[in-house]
Parts: sequence; structure tokens; C-alpha cells
Amino acid sequence: MTSTEGARLRLVSVSKRFVRAEQGAAAVADVSLTVEPGELLTLLGPSGCGKTTTLRIVAGFERPDTGQVLIDERDVTGLMVYRRSIGFVFQNYALFPHLTVFENVAYGLRVQRLRDPVVRERVGRVLALVGLPGYERRFPNQLSGGEQQRVAVARAVVVEPRLLLFDEPLSNLDAKLRVQMREELSRLQRQLGITTVYVTHDQEEAMAISDRIAVMQAGQVAQVGTAHDLYRAPGSVFVAQFIGRVNLLPARVLRVSPGQATVALWAREITVPADRVGVGGPEVSLVLRPESVGLLAEGASAPDGEVTVRGVVRGRTFLGEKVEYTVEVDGASLLAVSYDPLRHGLFESGGRVQVSCAPASLRLLGAA
Amino acid sequence: MSPAAPEGSSRAALRDPVLAPTVLLLWAAVSLFVLYPVTRLLVLTFWDGGPTLAPVVELVSSWQHRRALGNSLLLAALVGGIGTALGFAFALLAVRARLPRGVGGALDAVVLLPLISPPFTAAIALIFALGPKGLISYHVFGIASLNIYGLGGTLLSETLTYFPIAYLTLKGVLGNIDPNLEDGAFSLGARRGRVFRTVTVPLAAPGLANSFLLLSAASLADFATPLILGGTKFPVLPTQAFLQITGLYDMRGGAALSFLLLVPALAVFIAQRWWTERRSVVTVTGKSGAATSIKSLSPGAVALLALVCAVTVLLVLTFYALIVVASMVRALGADNSLSSAHYAHVFSGGLKAIRDTLVIAAICMPLGGLFAVVLGFVVARTRFPGRRALEFAAMINYALPGTIVGIAYLVAFNDPPLALTGTAFILVICYVFRYSLAGTRATTALLAQIDPSLEEASASLGARRDVTFRRVVLPLIRPALLAGMTVLFIRAMTAISATIFLVSLSWSLVTVRILEGITNLELGQASAFSVLVILLVYAAVLLASLAMRWLNAGNLGQAGTLLGG
Repeated sequence: MTSTEGARLRLVSVSKRFVRAEQGAAAVADVSLTVEPGELLTLLGPSGCGKTTTLRIVAGFERPDTGQVLIDERDVTGLMVYRRSIGFVFQNYALFPHLTVFENVAYGLRVQRLRDPVVRERVGRVLALVGLPGYERRFPNQLSGGEQQRVAVARAVVVEPRLLLFDEPLSNLDAKLRVQMREELSRLQRQLGITTVYVTHDQEEAMAISDRIAVMQAGQVAQVGTAHDLYRAPGSVFVAQFIGRVNLLPARVLRVSPGQATVALWAREITVPADRVGVGGPEVSLVLRPESVGLLAEGASAPDGEVTVRGVVRGRTFLGEKVEYTVEVDGASLLAVSYDPLRHGLFESGGRVQVSCAPASLRLLGAA
Repeated sequence: MSPAAPEGSSRAALRDPVLAPTVLLLWAAVSLFVLYPVTRLLVLTFWDGGPTLAPVVELVSSWQHRRALGNSLLLAALVGGIGTALGFAFALLAVRARLPRGVGGALDAVVLLPLISPPFTAAIALIFALGPKGLISYHVFGIASLNIYGLGGTLLSETLTYFPIAYLTLKGVLGNIDPNLEDGAFSLGARRGRVFRTVTVPLAAPGLANSFLLLSAASLADFATPLILGGTKFPVLPTQAFLQITGLYDMRGGAALSFLLLVPALAVFIAQRWWTERRSVVTVTGKSGAATSIKSLSPGAVALLALVCAVTVLLVLTFYALIVVASMVRALGADNSLSSAHYAHVFSGGLKAIRDTLVIAAICMPLGGLFAVVLGFVVARTRFPGRRALEFAAMINYALPGTIVGIAYLVAFNDPPLALTGTAFILVICYVFRYSLAGTRATTALLAQIDPSLEEASASLGARRDVTFRRVVLPLIRPALLAGMTVLFIRAMTAISATIFLVSLSWSLVTVRILEGITNLELGQASAFSVLVILLVYAAVLLASLAMRWLNAGNLGQAGTLLGG
């Protein structure tokens, strides 16, 4: 299978409201996005956030109330699904149960009325690509979940679509297979170079495969960026809490200077990196990831430059590779994760500790 | 998050190059063959140079017709009540008494008999068994004064004919009740009777109501049984309407009588729809994990149920045995010597009717089957303005008693430019629009289990809607198509109430020949025709069941409930 020139996908102010009352507010509200040629963009969000509806609008299964869908700058908003040249991989795979693996994969080629030798050649090639040669004559119900998944992918890519759309494709697989399949999908997508939109609610999956992630909330795009950007500098409480786990520490901005801000935290002044401090008064939240929180025995000295505060361990969960502590600091509870507990030892619940963190790992919420 | 229908909005559907013409075609067909005749019937009743209520007022003021209305309603209520009770007994026994495997199957086979029999079968058998010189009443018990003509005979015959509808409906309902609910009641200390009263019956109540309404509708619509057994003592609306037209050539009077019947029939139909939609509340608990055995029936109760069912089964079997015997002897009850005369007649003089019926059935099946699945698909899987209206309009001919449909067709298609009565065409059309509903319902039921993503997958791979229908949907709903076609075949072989108005010398039907046999007092001939029809239909059902098994699609059970009416 040759690598095709990926298409550029652009959504311009797309909105969609469902008529039925239980669907509540707008499913998709004023979403604008650009997916660059060959890029894999993930729509990530909790269920009901509008990510699947957005994907279905791109596919043409749903028509937006307002806004446009452009593929390579051509407006396809009014185009029927079957004219859009897309490959869609469904959550339940949607393999035709009455057709063999071969005929499932060949379906799109047969619809194009391609000649038999061409169909055979291309189906054979794509089945090899997904690692299922020799499966041609089986029926979907004779395949495992992972195999069905591969057939679904093969069926979607064999027609050499301009866009590849995935709707939670791994959610029906068990945890181990999910990790393996997402690596395969990622490799395949890179190899084929097809512009891809991928929907998932699993942030780890999104971080593992995406070039960029668009976090969606209540029908809107909350933030777009690489996994690293989103984790390091979340733009809102929602994004901070949805991508990974987070401590949000209330603080007060004292001074702002180029590239940094001085805030009051735990009754001392700390300077944290901040390229742009959001408006909204001096009261801010500081983002502190649990793994950036250090715990030290009382009396031990913290590494240079770190800020420390006293705390009391209120809860402990031993998870093998790591320990999660809930520590009470200034009357609020703080989550701390400590790796390699066999080496570092454990703190007892109820014990007094020193909590430390490096100013560089603190970030003003909403500051990029 | 994903709505049921692909391509959400109604407006979008109208631009679909395949859907729009299909919907237009369906509307055109339904308008011409459903709405137009009914409208003509209403116009004939209520318009005479201007709006008028005269024909209806005249009817209601006539003592005879008022009595027919009262009788129809009384009969419908009695058949509904007794038939439901009997069906419930059968269903309890089948679902809850852990019968040996063979017995359950045999029960189903016997119960199917009345459902697939031509009309009159039970009536003829009743005359043989309990009539003036009845084999049972006179020859066994020596009673000469027993009169089966009237309410009693009609009620007995209709109940035996229609209780299988209740049985099939209630079997499904009881089977869907989670046994854990009963176990729960037991665990809270309730005794058997109490569990039955406070858990089982309330959960089955919507099913019981549904079954009562189905049976009432079937009885309201029944034309054949009261024609034979009602006599002048027990007039009901369908027979009165028939006699008004064929006896008195009073089309307007017949139309007005039809209207009188239309009101309760439609009321019952709408009530039944309402109940069926409510029923989903009950099955919410779904399937239970572990199938526990049922304990809410005491051994005594099981024995009582078994007795009731055994007597009923015996009665049904006796009736059918009588029909078979009557077809093989010169004159049952009078001259019991073996004779092949009746069959000789069937295969000589009767051959044309058999051939005509089979030809019409053969045309009906693919036509009606296709209509049924396309309608089912369009209604279940697409959105367009007026979708619900189309669904309802397509159901009207099924919901109305056959007599009304027949008279409406007679009114609408007797004169140019649409002088179609007496042609094979009108018979086919009548069956297609009256009996396709089974296929449509089977289609929507099947589609409910098929994820719309299959169709979306096809569309995403470049297939237009018609290509998707042909290559993906149709292969998946083959069982529904088969069920629909089987019901059409059975109906084409056994229906009479509507088609009696539409037959002619050039196109006759077996059922009409049976009626002629009865009115000419040639019961042996009528029996021979009946046996032949039963054998043909049984063969068809058997064939369809085999095909179903081959398609891996369960049984014809659901279609069975649609056979009544």
C-alpha cells in the first residue's frame, strides 16, 4: 500500500443541536479545528462532550446546523457520506456479519466496481499490512476482538481514503490488547500518512498515539495541543483534571515580570514560570502534578531551591511500582505519588512529613 | 450519543437520491390502495349530494342492526376474555411447568393448527360434532335438542380458533419475566399463591391486556364463523354488512354498517398499540443471569392447568379428525362409507380455484415481502417528514376488519377508471396491503438488533443507500422477508373476509369454494378443500421453519402472533 498524500481537514464554527430533549444543550457548539495533512488528531473528552458527534459530522453521518467542513479547502458540508472518501472505524467494528473477511475488506472496492484481480490484489496487500493473511475465508464471528479490529481497519484503509476516522476503536478490547493495538494503529497511520481523526475518552491512549489532542468539554474545544503541552500547561481546571491527575493549589499573584510571576504559596513567596498571566485578579490556581510532590521525613533537608511545608499523611495506597499518599497541608489535602517505594520506604498514615516541590514544576493555571 | 438513524435531519433525507423516490412510491401505493378506498367508503356513508348522517341514523334506529352491533361487541369481549384465560393457561403450562421436551413441541404444533386453518374449519367441525345430528352430542350423548347456532356455538368456535394468539403472546411475556423477581418474593417469605398474585400476574398484566385486545379485534373482524354459526338468531356486523351488499345489493347500507364496525375495531386497535408500547416497561429487568426453576405453581395448579389444556387439545384434535374423516366418507353422520368422491371433486371442479389461489399466493409473496421489508426499513432507519403518518397509514388495512376492506375496495375499484374487482390484480393488492404488516414488524424487530453502524460503514465505503440496502440490509433481514412471505402465503390460502367481495368467475379462491360447499350443504367437499389447504399451509410452515433454521434465525413464533385478524 502506497503512502497517499494526506488531506487537510478544516472545521469552521461547526455547531449541531439534537432535536430530542434528552440530548439537552447543543451537542457540538462552535467547533473550529484544523488537522494538517498526515496528522493524527485526537478528540478527547468525557462521554457526552460532543467528540463522537464531531467525528460523525466530519464523516457526513450527521449534518451540522451551522458551520462548514472542508477537506483540502473544498466545502463538503452538504456532500453525502458515500462521496466523501473517508475510512471510518467503528467502536463495535461494524463488520458485515454475512460476509467473509475477504468480502468485508473488498466491500468498498466492489462498490467502486473494480475488476476482480485488482480487488484480490489490494485486499491481499492490506490484509498482509494488518497481519491477517490467510484469514480471507473466515467470518467475523470466528474472529477474536483484536482480529475483528484489524479487519475493520483493513476495510477502512483499502479504499485509500483521504481521511481516516476512528470512533473509540479500542474500547471493546481488554487492557493488554488495547496497548498493543494502539501501537499498531499508530505505526500503520504513520506508514500510510492518511490524515486521521481519532475519538477516545482514554487520556493515556490519546497521549500515546496523537500528534495533537483536542480536549472537548460540553460540545466545545477546551484546548488543543500536543500531549506534552496539555500536561505541562493546562488551560483550564477541566483540562488539568482530565489529562492526568493534578493538585490545584490556591495562590495569590504578587508581582508579574516577563516570563515569570511571583506568587504567595504556603506563606512564602515563590517565582514560577509564566509566559502570559491570565486576567481575573490576583487569586489563581497553581498546577502541581502528584509526581512532582516530594515527601521527606521530618527534619530531613530538602534539595536546593525547593519549597517545603509541613504536612500530615492521611492516607496511603500501595500500588507496587508507586505509592499514593494523601497529605494534609494547610487544612487542604494534597495528592503525592512516590515511585519505587521499595527503595524509598513508606510513610505511615498519621505521620508528620515535609512536603516539597520545585518552583519550576509549578505552573499558573491558564498561563501558557 | 449516536442517534438511531443515519443522517439525522428530515430535510437531509429529502435530498437523498434514493430515499426520496422510495418514500414517494410508498406514499403513492398506500394512498391509492389504503387511503383512497377507505375515503370512498366514508364518502359513500356520509355524503349524498351533501353531508348526511342519514344512513348511520337509519342503521342505529333499526333494531336488527343495533342488535348486530351489540352482539359484535359482546362476542368480542367474551372471546377476548375466555380466549385470553385459555391462552394464559397454555402459556403457564408451557413456560412454567417444565414439560418434557416432546410435549412442549407437540403443544405448539397443535396450537398452531387453528391459526393456519382456513376459515370455517372450526365451524364445520362444530356442526359435525355438536350439530343437529352431531357425532358427539347425538351419537355419543344422545342429545337431540342441542342447538349450536347462535352465541354459544360462535363463541366456542371463535375461542378455539383464536386462543392460540393469546398463547403465543403470553408465552413471550411470561418467558421474559425474570425468575429472580419471583425468587425475590419467595425470599421475602411469600407463599406460592401470593407470589403468583403479587408478582407473576401483575408483570404479565400488560401482556394479558394486549392479548385481550388482539383477540377482541380478531373476533370483531371474524366473518366466517358467525356466517355459519350465527345464523339469523345471532347477527353480527360483518355478516350483516355482507348480506346487505350481496343479498340486498345495498352498497350504501353495507358501507354504513362497515362504518359502525370500523369505530370499535379502530378503538381496539389503537388501545392495543398503546398497551404494546407500554409493555416495554415490564421487560426492563431483561434476562436473568442464572435460570432458576419456577416455583410459583403448586403441583395441584399444574395438574389443573394440564387438565384444561388436555381437554382443549383433545377438542381441537377431535375437530380436525372429524374434518379429515368427513372428507373421506360419503356423508359423515348419515352415510359413513369410505369414498374418494370429495377429493375427486376437489381435483376436478375445484382445481381451478386451487390453481388460482396458488398463482395469487405466488405473486403476493415476493411483491408483499419486498413491500414489507422496504417499508420496515424506511420506517425504522430513516427520518423524513410524515414518517409516522406513513407507518400508520400502511397499517390501516391490517387494523380494519376484512369485511370493511373488502367493501371499501368494492366501492373504490368497481367502476372505471379503476375497475379492478374480479381481477387477479385486485386480489393480490388486497393481500399485499392487508397482510404485509407481519413482514414489516419482523423487519423492524430484526433491525432493532442490527447496529446502524453497519449501514454507516457501508456508506462510508462509498455505497449509496440502495446499494447498502441490497448488499448489507437485505441479506441481514432475510429471516424477516421469509416470515413475511410465509404469512402472506398462509393468508392467501386462508383469508376470505375481504376477498369474498372481490372474487369473480375468472378468479376464484379455495376459501370461497369452501363457503360454497357449506352453503350448498356439501360439507364433505368443504372438508376436503379444508384438509387440502391445511396440508399446503402446514407444508409451507414446515418449509419456512427449515429455511429459518438454515438462516440461523430462530422460529416463526413472532410471525405467528400476526396470523390472527
